[in-house]
Amino acid sequence: MNALTNYFRGPFYIALYTYREGMRRKLLIGFLVLSLLVIFGSSFIATFLDPSAETDIDLKLIKDICVSAIAIFGVLIAVYISASVVPNEVENKVIYTVLSKPVGRMQYLLGKFMGAQFIIMVNLAIMGGLFFMALYMREGVMPTLLLWSILLTYFEFLIVSSFTFAVSCAATTSLVPILGGLFIYITGNLTEYLKDVEHRAGQTGEWFDAMIGHIATGLHAVLPNLQNFSLKMQIVTGQPNDPPADVLIPNLLLYGFLYGLAGFLCAYIIFWRKEV
Amino acid sequence: MAQHPRLTAFAIMATLVAAGTLLNLHIQHLRESEAYYRWFLAAAVQARMDGQVRENDPDGDLFRESVVALESAGFFDDFLVEYRQDPTEGVLPDPEEQAEEDYRTHRRIWDFARSRHAASQRETFLDLARQQQLRFARDIQYAEAQAGGVNIFNLFFGFRKVAANLLWIEVDRYWHQGNMYRMITLMRTCVALDPEFIEAYLIGAWHLAYNATARMPDTPWPQREWHDGYEACLGEKERFYYYAIDFLKDGIRRNPRNYRLYFELGFAIYKEKLEDYPNAVRYLSEAIRVPHDRWVPRQLFLSYELNGQFEEALAGWQDYIIRFPGSMTAVEVAPRFIMRNQGHIYEQRSHELRKQSYETDDPQQRETLQEQSTAYWERARETWRNLNDPYGEGRLMLMEGLDMRLDGRYLESIALLDKARWETAALWEELSDLIIETKQEAGIPLSVSEKKAVLRESEVGICPGMPPEEQERRLRAIEEIEARF
Repeated sequence: MNALTNYFRGPFYIALYTYREGMRRKLLIGFLVLSLLVIFGSSFIATFLDPSAETDIDLKLIKDICVSAIAIFGVLIAVYISASVVPNEVENKVIYTVLSKPVGRMQYLLGKFMGAQFIIMVNLAIMGGLFFMALYMREGVMPTLLLWSILLTYFEFLIVSSFTFAVSCAATTSLVPILGGLFIYITGNLTEYLKDVEHRAGQTGEWFDAMIGHIATGLHAVLPNLQNFSLKMQIVTGQPNDPPADVLIPNLLLYGFLYGLAGFLCAYIIFWRKEV
Repeated sequence: MAQHPRLTAFAIMATLVAAGTLLNLHIQHLRESEAYYRWFLAAAVQARMDGQVRENDPDGDLFRESVVALESAGFFDDFLVEYRQDPTEGVLPDPEEQAEEDYRTHRRIWDFARSRHAASQRETFLDLARQQQLRFARDIQYAEAQAGGVNIFNLFFGFRKVAANLLWIEVDRYWHQGNMYRMITLMRTCVALDPEFIEAYLIGAWHLAYNATARMPDTPWPQREWHDGYEACLGEKERFYYYAIDFLKDGIRRNPRNYRLYFELGFAIYKEKLEDYPNAVRYLSEAIRVPHDRWVPRQLFLSYELNGQFEEALAGWQDYIIRFPGSMTAVEVAPRFIMRNQGHIYEQRSHELRKQSYETDDPQQRETLQEQSTAYWERARETWRNLNDPYGEGRLMLMEGLDMRLDGRYLESIALLDKARWETAALWEELSDLIIETKQEAGIPLSVSEKKAVLRESEVGICPGMPPEEQERRLRAIEEIEARF
């Protein structure tokens, strides 16, 4: 127990330091402020509509805009933080000081990863909290489904941020991992195209064509599919007590956790032999 | 392990990816099952509303096949009976109990949809959905169930709902500019982007059925055209009503568990706009089967009454008082409607008994039946007297007029019915019809407006494009009616 505590003490302090340093970044604050402005401003979008139509359309507008704002700004924050925590330390040469202490590479990386996750979680909590309050004030009931939506959003970010983190471990500047992170997010949402390729493959009868189909099938199974998390949009505007959502949510949380962990281990494998 | 940390990390990562892959496949299976489940629910609701499953229809065939699999796997003994079973029987369901029951039923369907028992049906469903052959599977948000695999949904990375909202603001702008035809196209795009955009269906249908047609005159019959789908002669104005119906039905297919769509179709379109009470009852009955607001059953009871289903309306209002004892409706409105329906039931029974008395050959039985009929007639009169409002007074005059007609005092009867219709607006049509009936019975010539009213209500209009047999049928009907003038 003691050994375990000792092992995690280092990563904990690194995470704390990463968190403090990360939260001071101007770009991150900018993203956060922008997202809060969009969430706050969503209430005014409804003023564009005809007030004589007495419906809940403004409520739907608020929900959709807020969930999308959280998804867009959240992913930008996740990508930016995950992509910059390690390369910045290499650039500032802080990494040399840290690694010269009795801290293993795994511990260092774990601390950095956890720090990045803290930042993502805190930002998500701030954005989600404001959204939660806006809905509560508008509807007068606790929007509990929103909590599930926020949780699903976090696990989606966990996948994106862990693989972005892995890319950042191979890079010396944060620009490439940022682009890489955005690429991961976009392709993660387009994984279902591979299924399309699979259906269309084999039409010519050529072995190469068939092989493309098999590769697409394999990739579709292995690559994380971020479209699975589209449930986060559905449950906010949908109806409660939906049997498929009850079964899908725990599966998606586990899915996000597994791929998040795989992404982190990928980062470790890359970082292991990195010359610093 | 400690000697080869990188290898260990690699092995763990490979294991995690393998586990992730398995989970990925499982989630894929769940999403396929979800798409199939949503289609099944929509098809089941349609089957419940139609009272039958369509023949020679891909949806109907697959639904029938699925029901057989569902029952043989033991999830339901007789699905169609259990699902169709009216939980209300004219009485309101308890909202909490209903929600729980609803969840239990849907849970069983969902368990079936993802089980191995439904494997073959799921496969068929995906094939048919990809070929766009299923009416209830369009726009299910799972790429595998869409034509071409991946389509417009995926282009927005999940932000299509926002795109739909922004388009809706544009629809609103077109509405204020009066660009009706542009609006329709854009509204369809909105709901294609976000099939769960309930407000778009509701406001869209309202615009189509009410606002778009507000300043349009009724289309003259020669300018109307026959529509095979709706089996009616429609002009520009009338077509908008059906656009609204189609738009809402489209929403129901995509969101079978949302009461607002059934309510809007039943109340705003069928009851208020088209005065098609059987269809109003049909959709409002479905609206109260899913979690709903308090005003929904009230409209259902009113539609029951207008459709002549007085027993159901009476039971409904009585239950409403028990369910919401302190509400203003229960205290002030429901008792009046209970008396109204009670009065109608007495009147109806009296008419039935009188008709039976005319049909019987046994003089003693005839006398008994006539006595019973008179007793009910008096009870109805007493009820209307107790109601003590313009409606009750109108009914009393109507009964008086009918009594006069029965005695052969036609002119007095017509005069009284005419007075009654001017004093009770709610009975205008019923009293006007009675005047016409009385005149026809007495051989009194109808006025020009009465003749027109008879023809108008008989739907005997002829329009271009009408099938010859329908045209023939209507011409014969015109001749028959005109012979009675």
